[in-house]
Amino acid sequence: MNNGTRLPSRKAAKGSFVMAAMVAGALLGGGTAVAATTHMLETGSSLLYPLFNLWVPAYAKVNPNLKITTQSTGSGTGISQAISGIAQIGASDAYLSNAQMMAHKGMLNIPLAISSQMINYNVPGLNGDHLKLSANTIADIYEGKVKYWDNAMIAKTNPGVKLPHKMIVPVHRTDGSGDTFIFSQYLSFSTPSWNKAVGYGTTVSWPAVPGSQGAVGNPGMVATLKTTPYSIAYIGVSFRNAIKEAKMGEARIGNRDGNYVLISNKTVSDAVVAMAKKTPADERISLIYAPGKSAYPIVNYEYAIVKEKQASKEVAEHMRKFFTWAMSAEHGNSKHFMEQVGFVPLPAAIRELSRKQIEKIH
Amino acid sequence: MSFRSISFKPMRFKTWMAVIAGGVPASLAAIILFLVIYSWPAAHVNGIGFIFRDTWNIGNVYANPIQVNGVTIMPGARYGILFLIAGTLLSSLIALLLAVPVGVGAAIFLAEVVRGKLRTVMSVIVELFAAIPSVVYGLWGYVVLVPLLGHHVYPFMAKTLSWLPFFGGLPGSGYGLLTAGIVLAMMIVPLIASILRDALISQPAALREAAMALGATKFETVWRVLLPGTRTVLIGATILALGRALGETMAVLMVSGGALNYLPSNIYSPVSTMAAFIVSQLDSALQDPTQMAVRSLAEIALILLIISIGVNALARGILKVWSFAGNPAGAVQR
Amino acid sequence: MISGDDNHASPESAQASSRSSLTIAGGSGRGVAVPKIIRKVSLGRRAFSIAGWALTSLGVGLMVLLVGSILWTVFVGGWSAMSPSLFTTVTQGTGGGLLNAIEGTAVLSVGALLLAVPLGVAAGVYVAEYRYSRWARAIRFVADVLVGVPSIVLGYFGYVTMVEGLGWNFSVAAGCIVLAVMCLPYITRSTEFALGELPDALREAAYALGMSERRVILRVCLPAAMPGVLTGVMLALAISVGETAPLLYTAGWSNYMWDGHLTHSPIGFLTYAIWTFYSEPFSSAVALAYAAAFLVTAFVFIINILSRYIMTRERI
Repeated sequence: MNNGTRLPSRKAAKGSFVMAAMVAGALLGGGTAVAATTHMLETGSSLLYPLFNLWVPAYAKVNPNLKITTQSTGSGTGISQAISGIAQIGASDAYLSNAQMMAHKGMLNIPLAISSQMINYNVPGLNGDHLKLSANTIADIYEGKVKYWDNAMIAKTNPGVKLPHKMIVPVHRTDGSGDTFIFSQYLSFSTPSWNKAVGYGTTVSWPAVPGSQGAVGNPGMVATLKTTPYSIAYIGVSFRNAIKEAKMGEARIGNRDGNYVLISNKTVSDAVVAMAKKTPADERISLIYAPGKSAYPIVNYEYAIVKEKQASKEVAEHMRKFFTWAMSAEHGNSKHFMEQVGFVPLPAAIRELSRKQIEKIH
Repeated sequence: MSFRSISFKPMRFKTWMAVIAGGVPASLAAIILFLVIYSWPAAHVNGIGFIFRDTWNIGNVYANPIQVNGVTIMPGARYGILFLIAGTLLSSLIALLLAVPVGVGAAIFLAEVVRGKLRTVMSVIVELFAAIPSVVYGLWGYVVLVPLLGHHVYPFMAKTLSWLPFFGGLPGSGYGLLTAGIVLAMMIVPLIASILRDALISQPAALREAAMALGATKFETVWRVLLPGTRTVLIGATILALGRALGETMAVLMVSGGALNYLPSNIYSPVSTMAAFIVSQLDSALQDPTQMAVRSLAEIALILLIISIGVNALARGILKVWSFAGNPAGAVQR
Repeated sequence: MISGDDNHASPESAQASSRSSLTIAGGSGRGVAVPKIIRKVSLGRRAFSIAGWALTSLGVGLMVLLVGSILWTVFVGGWSAMSPSLFTTVTQGTGGGLLNAIEGTAVLSVGALLLAVPLGVAAGVYVAEYRYSRWARAIRFVADVLVGVPSIVLGYFGYVTMVEGLGWNFSVAAGCIVLAVMCLPYITRSTEFALGELPDALREAAYALGMSERRVILRVCLPAAMPGVLTGVMLALAISVGETAPLLYTAGWSNYMWDGHLTHSPIGFLTYAIWTFYSEPFSSAVALAYAAAFLVTAFVFIINILSRYIMTRERI
């Protein structure tokens, strides 16, 4: 090692440190220039994510000073990070439990829209047929009791359909998820054995079905379903276009009255009408398995989970204004936004309850 | 000058350095200490059954918490990670079974077949393998490997190899144990190859000459004389690679299928590993108002950490003699 | 060429090139340089050798094929996703650009290095220059062990202690600290190695000139070892750019440019874009994932090749 070789490299080293310092300085300088705006983090439900991605740029035209970062993580994250204050808006398909409401005072569950959930399958040849599946059948599939597609329970509701003798691959979410919450509620409310063995929650202890698969987020569910022949999955309605593009099947599922229904504005609205009157002031209620001849059985409020007490008055005001905009029938809840993601607008009575909750944010 | 010993002197340079260098063990100690303290209540409730049970159930989060043994948990909560331990060990084992032969082959090729510039270039290519970020491996696995294996290779294997235990049965979708093992193998081959290559090159020339003089072919020389001399290094490198495979997270998470609460029935079955499970479950665990779920995750992290540290310490112990004589690639390599 | 080497059974010094063995195997008469003590190698042994070389080459071929496949996937997918707007606009939901992520990765990596380099180099100096002390040996051991700590364990630790415990929320500070802990052992070990390679004569000469210990180490040894130290720093940089798991729960993600706050404000990073967008059913999101994978892989490769170049140039 002589001087000749070490001098240049020493210079280079110095140079790189100077450069690093300059980069850091430039970044710091650039950062402080935009401090006048308010930043918010929205995280959680991958079902609300596409809607927020439509809302945020539209709202930016109304109020450019509010910058909302959207994240598709899962309702579990939405709830827990809203509680801990890491995210200002927790997006969730599920409301907080009693224990959570007790443990964390001052949390609000504000419905923003009405969503529904598809039961999708990938059975080559039958994906256009909208197979009819009862709640009990779906529960038995996820419990591992119905193992093959040509099982008598499936054959009974689908006379004339040539079902293949192939193992069913149930796909479930591995992350904490509102979709899991409403799906397991559907099974719990309809099937006593499921209610006893598994119950419902954003994460449930999935029965050990050999070959069953886990996936992260609704996108992961779509991807797994697409790549796994003879699989079945529960996927939020926002991904209906993705399902259609991928040519996957969407099942007609059994409702409380014993009819088999597909998602449509009418079937979802019928379910909401039945449940809207029962919605309490804190709006924590399940719309699952609603009565009604044509009511779709897996329908839910999409919640924003927020704290009543915000970090500052400005943040609180920004939040109230944003939610008011998001909920209004002319803006956020208009047909334009709702149809793109397959949601249904809130009924007027619910909008009124939500408005009262929004007023509590300070 | 009896006061000299208590006179204040500025701290010596060496002492300063010793104190600053203490940051390294301090950070490790902080992590271990934190995990032990944080997971303690969970370890208390879960008991030793934690590693023998096959259920991860955070309980009914929508019910009211109950008291068990003086600890508050959600009703129905029960924690066991046998399926994770199995998934972690099996995927790493498959990775080693695939990576060791390929790594040895690559090392021999780099040490004995190519020379000069070509060797440097090829070595760099092999080592770049190790530089590709985990999440990029995952992306590639998802786009290329899973469809290829799931649609073409596994159905074929399941049919033709059904007489072998664990090779028959459902071929699955491509997400699973073997896929995870293959991706892990790709990530650890460079580690084995580069360490072994250096060891082969640094074998004394006399050994080679003596073997040749006895009439051995060149491959026989490498295989029967040089390679046995590097056995310790190979074992050390393999264990080091095992350590890496056990803790690998993103790529495994993206191709393993995320099995929950069941053991794999064959090599195509979906699995989950401890590291991947922490990423996928932290969200939902944080929802448990009793904190038992998140503390049980800390217990997983602690177990994973202890295994990794043990495996790494063992590998370093084996490689120690050699690594100081030669290249620190083992230490610096990822 | 490979099988040519096998049939060659004559004594061969390390330098005797394979050229002469080739001629023998080829059976041409030019092999006069080698004395005729060649025995016939039995068919079985020859087959064993050929099979051995074939498998060896197969192993390398397989690796090259797989690396090629990965690079092909990433670079072809990434290249088609490239556009100027990628570098000028921020992410908007599942579309837009990656400016915020590029900035975030730069901020996180530089921040991690600012923390890890002083500490790591100091530790490396201590371990190398006082290598016989028990403390130095302990630190070397711990540094080796620290390499083996799974990155998600660090991320978990960071989330529960800093993000939640200290209430920093998703933040630059939490991300940088976790990355710094990851980088620390690499910098320590490469600094130690670089110093260890210096000839003792260098130190002896410096001491002979009456320099203090501090001056010898800081002014003589460390500058001489700079290329090695730099290699470690660049390796650490490559690691921090390519990491995902430890950042998911510490840095969070942001659709906007960093606002300059160290705590309470999340920040974007490139590997997040890969991890979140790769399976989204929107083509704009998948394009972002590919673009991010392209940028990360290309950067990591350049850093790796550059650091190897520095190393080899210094060795010669």
